[in-house]
Amino acid sequence: MSHRRDLRHGCRIGRAEFVRSVRGYTRDARRLLGLAVAVLFFGGQLVVTLPAAYAAGQSVRTATAVPYLDPVAVTLPVGLLALATLRTMERLGGVDAEELLLTTVHPRAVVIGLVLAELGRLALWFGLPIAALVVAFAAGLGAPTLPLTAGVLVLPLLACTAVCGYALGITGLCVLRRLPTLRRLLKGGAVVGFLGLFVLSQVAAHAFVERDVSVAGLLEVVSVPALTDYLSLAFVGTPLYGGVSPAAVAVLAGLLAVTPIGLAAAERSADALWFGDDGRSQPSGSTTAAGSGAGFAPPRPFAWRQSGRIAWGHLLRAIRHPQELSHLLMLVFLAGPVLGSLASGNDGGALASILAGTGTAVGVYLAGATFGLNPLGDDRPHLPLLLLVETPTRTLLRGRVAAGLALGLPVAVLVPVATVAAGTPLPVALGYAALGLGLAPAAAGLALGLGCAYPIYEPRELWGAETVAPSTLVLLGYSFVVLGGMSIWLVLVLVGLEGSLSPLLLAGAGTFALLTALPSAILYRYALNRYRGYTR
Amino acid sequence: MPSTHSPGAQPAVEATDLRKRYGDELALDGVSLSLPSGTVYGFLGPNGAGKTTTMRLLTGLTKPTDGEARVCGTPVADRRELVSQVGYLPETPPLYEEFSAREQLDYVADLRDIPPETADERIDAYLDRFELREDAAKRIGSYSKGMKRKTAFVQSVLHDPDVLFLDEPTSGLDPRAARRIRESITDFADDGTTVFLSTHILPVVEAVADTVGVLFEGRLVAEGPPADLTDRAAAGAESETLEDAFLAVTGGDDPVEGGE
Repeated sequence: MSHRRDLRHGCRIGRAEFVRSVRGYTRDARRLLGLAVAVLFFGGQLVVTLPAAYAAGQSVRTATAVPYLDPVAVTLPVGLLALATLRTMERLGGVDAEELLLTTVHPRAVVIGLVLAELGRLALWFGLPIAALVVAFAAGLGAPTLPLTAGVLVLPLLACTAVCGYALGITGLCVLRRLPTLRRLLKGGAVVGFLGLFVLSQVAAHAFVERDVSVAGLLEVVSVPALTDYLSLAFVGTPLYGGVSPAAVAVLAGLLAVTPIGLAAAERSADALWFGDDGRSQPSGSTTAAGSGAGFAPPRPFAWRQSGRIAWGHLLRAIRHPQELSHLLMLVFLAGPVLGSLASGNDGGALASILAGTGTAVGVYLAGATFGLNPLGDDRPHLPLLLLVETPTRTLLRGRVAAGLALGLPVAVLVPVATVAAGTPLPVALGYAALGLGLAPAAAGLALGLGCAYPIYEPRELWGAETVAPSTLVLLGYSFVVLGGMSIWLVLVLVGLEGSLSPLLLAGAGTFALLTALPSAILYRYALNRYRGYTR
Repeated sequence: MPSTHSPGAQPAVEATDLRKRYGDELALDGVSLSLPSGTVYGFLGPNGAGKTTTMRLLTGLTKPTDGEARVCGTPVADRRELVSQVGYLPETPPLYEEFSAREQLDYVADLRDIPPETADERIDAYLDRFELREDAAKRIGSYSKGMKRKTAFVQSVLHDPDVLFLDEPTSGLDPRAARRIRESITDFADDGTTVFLSTHILPVVEAVADTVGVLFEGRLVAEGPPADLTDRAAAGAESETLEDAFLAVTGGDDPVEGGE
């Protein structure tokens, strides 16, 4: 009786959470525009993939000939499990209006509701395009029942991986709560680990290309025949059906058996997490500011000027909540593949120069992107204070610029200089360092203007901290302008140092310098006016 | 109406030697309570005294380090039984901004297993009573702080709980709405509901509470009817208000006579 009631409550919670998500996606025109762009982008892919799926359906004659069936049979459950685990650790560990739900229904119902809502979101984002592909394949095969049987087979898999992933994720959160030192290490280490993974993926990709490694061959190694047999059950009633293997039945039985076990484990961990002690149970040292007895005491040179002290405040907040800088990971996605390609085709000396230029570009990028891309959103909770104090608005903004420069300039200057030891010619290193010195403030001004033009105010929880991330549009625009501009400047410096500057090239460089400085100054002015607009 | 057991048969809220420790910090130090059904218990204390911790313990949202608590005879750890007996309005209203008030209340009624017809009647009546009817179809995200508070109050009483835990229920409300809440509290108590009321607004406590408990540094330092507490405070002072009594027992002086 109680199980049925929990399931009913869970379904109701799942429906409510899903509706809330959909309303969140369509809350305002900006989100609708973003959705439209995403649909157009991914919908456009379907123009190519749907005919391909249809053609594949027409050509296959046996289940073993279905393209990518083996790797899909392995990567689908593993991917779903990993996704559910990470999503739980990132966002689903807690529940909105926790006091309401936990004093209204049993925790098991809340777990079921959260898992169902997540499945709904998954179906909305990925289910529809995948269903379209299956339908196209089925149409090519002439097997109208295939979408139905595939759906029936995927359902237990989805339920099992979602529940087990939730259990793993929430158990992970419990462990992190009990081990605050590990949690603090992970906060900083997550970014480094992510960067490491990305670099590894780039290295692996180049190895595949250079050594002609077959991806299909690699996937063959990790194929699990039982899982393939299970997925092949979807072909029942089609010309590809090859009978029911005991292994497939065993997989189905396993999925059905593990799901309630996973649910019980998830409920147990959720109980411990939700009704256990919260962050206050941490040792006092973890929530006490270092040196708090001395008050707010910025070190020199930050202490010299008011803007420096404001900058120190931004840096301190970033150190204590590094999640606030999660938007910087965009740089990895944008620059990683390009750098990987450049690095693979060059020898040691050239590599050092590339590293020098990369350091300058990254430093300049960080000078603006770290604290400048959403200043109004970031300052929103403090705006009533900031705008009513006697400190001039320009000082507040200069503080933000100084914080970005404090982070970006050392990278922009020291990395190229350090690469001299690895073979970068000294003039090139110094030229890049000088370039970084000149362009970092320009990037900071540019970022402030762009950020003020399109502020994001809604905070969201990420890895246990509330953060107000900049708009993706602003982030992409800034990245495109700064990284594109940096590429041109780096080439210009190289050409200049080789002594092959013609008057025409000099004129071009002058114009480009103007094109760099002027928009930055105008946008900085615009940011200043946006802030001042609140006090007029 | 709310109480499913006879008043006086057993305490509506009973806590024995409750302790709660967060790391090295002792938030609650041996609090014992026994509240009969149908009373309003005014729970006072300075910021950080442990009032919210006590309410979270009594609603089963946090586990005690030591001691035990029961609501209408049900151990607070037995959440399946407990949820139908308690209503809780925390200091921050637990509402969904994407829902309208009507949707929110329908949702809660559904989760509370209130039959749809009964739920509709109650929701309509409460929306009228708290002047939310006209805005009931608007998203809660567009509500004022007071409207959110009123909606959250309604959702906490929708199932006619046996014990109602209210954390600052009148905070941010205009005088009319605050009076409605005060009237509702006394109405609920008259109908047999026990109201556990935590607030800093002492006139509200003076107006509605049958018994007052004062928590200070995790300990219950005074308990009794409001008039008794003010009389004790007045014994050594010129004025005799609950505020004086509160300041006397939380100002580092000796606990008021009769306090624990």
